[in-house]
Amino acid sequence: MDYALRARLAKRFYRFLSYTLLIGVAIIIIMPLAAMATTSIKQMSEYNVWPINILPRVPQWSNYAAVFEMAPYLKVALRTAALGIIVTIIVTASSSLIGFAFARYPVKGSKPLFFIVVGLMIIPYIVVLIPQFVMYSRLHLTNTYWPWIFGAIAGNSFYIFLFRQFFLSFPRELEDAAEVDGAGPFRIFWQIFLPNAKPVIAAVMIFAFSYIWGDYMTPLILLNDDKTLLSVKIATSYSNPQGVWLITIALAANLIYMLPLVIVFFLAQKHILKGVVTSGLKG
Amino acid sequence: MSSPTVSHKPWQSGDHEKNTAVSTKVEGRGLTRGQRRTVTFYLFISPWLLGFIFLTTIPMLLGFLTSFTNYEGLSIANLRFVGLTNYVRAFTADPEVGFSLGRTLLWGLFNLPTWLILSFAMALILNQNVRGQGFFRTLYYLPSVVPVVAAITAWKVILDKNAGWLNGIIDLFIPGTAIGWLSDYAMPGMTMIAVWTGLGTAMVIFLAGLQNIPDELVEAARIDGANSFQIFRYITLPLMTPVIFLQLVMGLIGVFQQLNLPLVLTQVGISTGAVPPRQIYLYMIHVYRQIFISSRWGYGIALLWLLFIGVFVLTLIVFWTEKYWVYSDRPEEGR
Repeated sequence: MDYALRARLAKRFYRFLSYTLLIGVAIIIIMPLAAMATTSIKQMSEYNVWPINILPRVPQWSNYAAVFEMAPYLKVALRTAALGIIVTIIVTASSSLIGFAFARYPVKGSKPLFFIVVGLMIIPYIVVLIPQFVMYSRLHLTNTYWPWIFGAIAGNSFYIFLFRQFFLSFPRELEDAAEVDGAGPFRIFWQIFLPNAKPVIAAVMIFAFSYIWGDYMTPLILLNDDKTLLSVKIATSYSNPQGVWLITIALAANLIYMLPLVIVFFLAQKHILKGVVTSGLKG
Repeated sequence: MSSPTVSHKPWQSGDHEKNTAVSTKVEGRGLTRGQRRTVTFYLFISPWLLGFIFLTTIPMLLGFLTSFTNYEGLSIANLRFVGLTNYVRAFTADPEVGFSLGRTLLWGLFNLPTWLILSFAMALILNQNVRGQGFFRTLYYLPSVVPVVAAITAWKVILDKNAGWLNGIIDLFIPGTAIGWLSDYAMPGMTMIAVWTGLGTAMVIFLAGLQNIPDELVEAARIDGANSFQIFRYITLPLMTPVIFLQLVMGLIGVFQQLNLPLVLTQVGISTGAVPPRQIYLYMIHVYRQIFISSRWGYGIALLWLLFIGVFVLTLIVFWTEKYWVYSDRPEEGR
C-alpha cells in the first residue's frame, strides 16, 4: 500500500515536472515571435521606453506600409521567389533522377560514389563556397544567378539522399514488369517512380525553396545590391536618413518575409518532419 | 530475426536483394544488360558527377593553390607564389587566429551541450503520454522554418541591452539590470538564439528515434523489475546512442563553420562592414574578415584549409570513439 502510494506520488511529480518544462520551453519559443509581432506595430519612440509596454498604445499599422515604401520590397521579393521556384524545380528534378540511379542501379562504382555524396554533407559549406566565389569571379559570373542554376543542376547531397532512401523501398517487380513492357530507364523513372514519390517531392521542394528564401550568406557574397535577394535586402534596409535603424519597421518586414515559410510549414508539416527524420536516423 | 528496427532494414535488405538479382540476370541474358545498366547509372548521375568535379573539386583545388599565393581578389597582375607564408603566418604572426579559435571552442562548449541535452530532454518528455504532444512538437519545430535574418531581428527585441524583454524580466527580480546580451554577453545571447532555432530539428529526430525503440523491450524490463531510471539508463540511452552520435557529429561540424549567426547578428540593421563583438569573434568571422574586408584572399583561404583539416581530424577522432559508446546492431557482430 505504502509502496503504491509512493509510486503514485512519484508519478504525479514526474507529470508536474514534465508539463512545467513543456510549457516553460513553449513560452521561450513563443516569446521572440510575440515580441516581434507586438513591436512591429509600435512607434519607434515606444520601442525604447522602460519599463517595457508589451502592447503598443496605438497600433501603428502604417509600419507595414512603410515596409514597401522604404525599400523595393515587392520587387526584390518577386525576384527571390522567381529564383527560388526555378532553382527548386531544377534541383528537385536532378536530385530525384540521381537518387533514383543510386537506389535502383547498384552497378560497379555506385557505392563509393554514394559514399562521396554523403561525405560531402560533412564538408563545411563555407570551405566550398569561398573557393567557388573565386572561380565564379574569374569567370565573371558573380552578380549573376548562374551559380544558383549550376548548383541546382548538380543536385544536392541531402535531397539525393532522401530520394534514394525512398526509392530503395520500391518493389523490384514494378521495374521488371515495366521493363518487360519495353519501358526504358527514364520512362520507368518518370512514369512509375516519380509519380509515387509525391511525399518526398513535396519535402524536397519545401526544403529547397525555404533554403533559397532564407539563405543570407550566398547572396551576400555573390551578388551586389542591385541584384541581391530578400534576406540581404531586409537586413540592410529600414534606416532613417540619420542612419538610425528603425527596428519596428524591420520587424514588420521580417514578419511578412517569414510568413510564406510558416504557412507552408503548417500545410505540409507531415512531409517536412518526415524528411527531417529520414536525414537524422538513417545517415 | 525478431529485430524490429524498422527504420533502416528495408534499405539494407533491398541492397542485398538487388545485388544478387543483378548477377543472376547478367548470367541469364548475357553481359549487355549489365553494361546497359552501368551506362544508365552514369548517365543519370552525370549532373552530380559534373557538379562534383567542376563545382567542388576544381574550386577546392584552385583554393588550395590560392592559399600559397598573395591573391588579393581582384587582379592577378601581381599574383605571386609565396610558399608556406600564409600558413606560417596563421601559426606565428596572427594572434587573432588563436583568439578566434578559442572563442569558437567556447561557443561549442556553450552551444552543443545546451542544444543536445535540451532537445533530448524535450523528446523524452514528448515521448511519454503527454497531452498536446502534436501541438508541442509543431511549436518547438516552428523556429526551424524562420529564416536567420528574421530570427535574429526578433531576438534583438528580446536581447537588447536597454529595451530588451529579457532584461525587462530579470529587472523585475533584480532592479537595474542592463546586461549586454548582444555585446559583452554575446556568447550566451547567441547560444539562446542558436538553441531556439536548432531545438526543433534535433528534437523531432530524437523523438522518432525514441519511437523506434520496441515496446516489448521496455515491457520485458519492467516485468523483470526495472524502474524508470534503469530503463532509461540501460535500454533507452544505449539504443539512442546512434542517433545522438549523428547529431553530435553534425553539431560539431556546425560549431566550427558557424558564420551565419555572428555575421547576421552584427550586420542586421548596422552595416555589412561592422565588426562583431569580441565575445563572438569566431574563427569563421576572422576568415570572413580576412577575405572580404582586408582582401587577403590567399591568407583567408589558407585559414579555411586549416579549418577543413581540423574539422576532418576531429570528425575522425569522434568516429574513432564510436565503438566505445555507440550501440550497434550490425548482424556480423553476432547477436
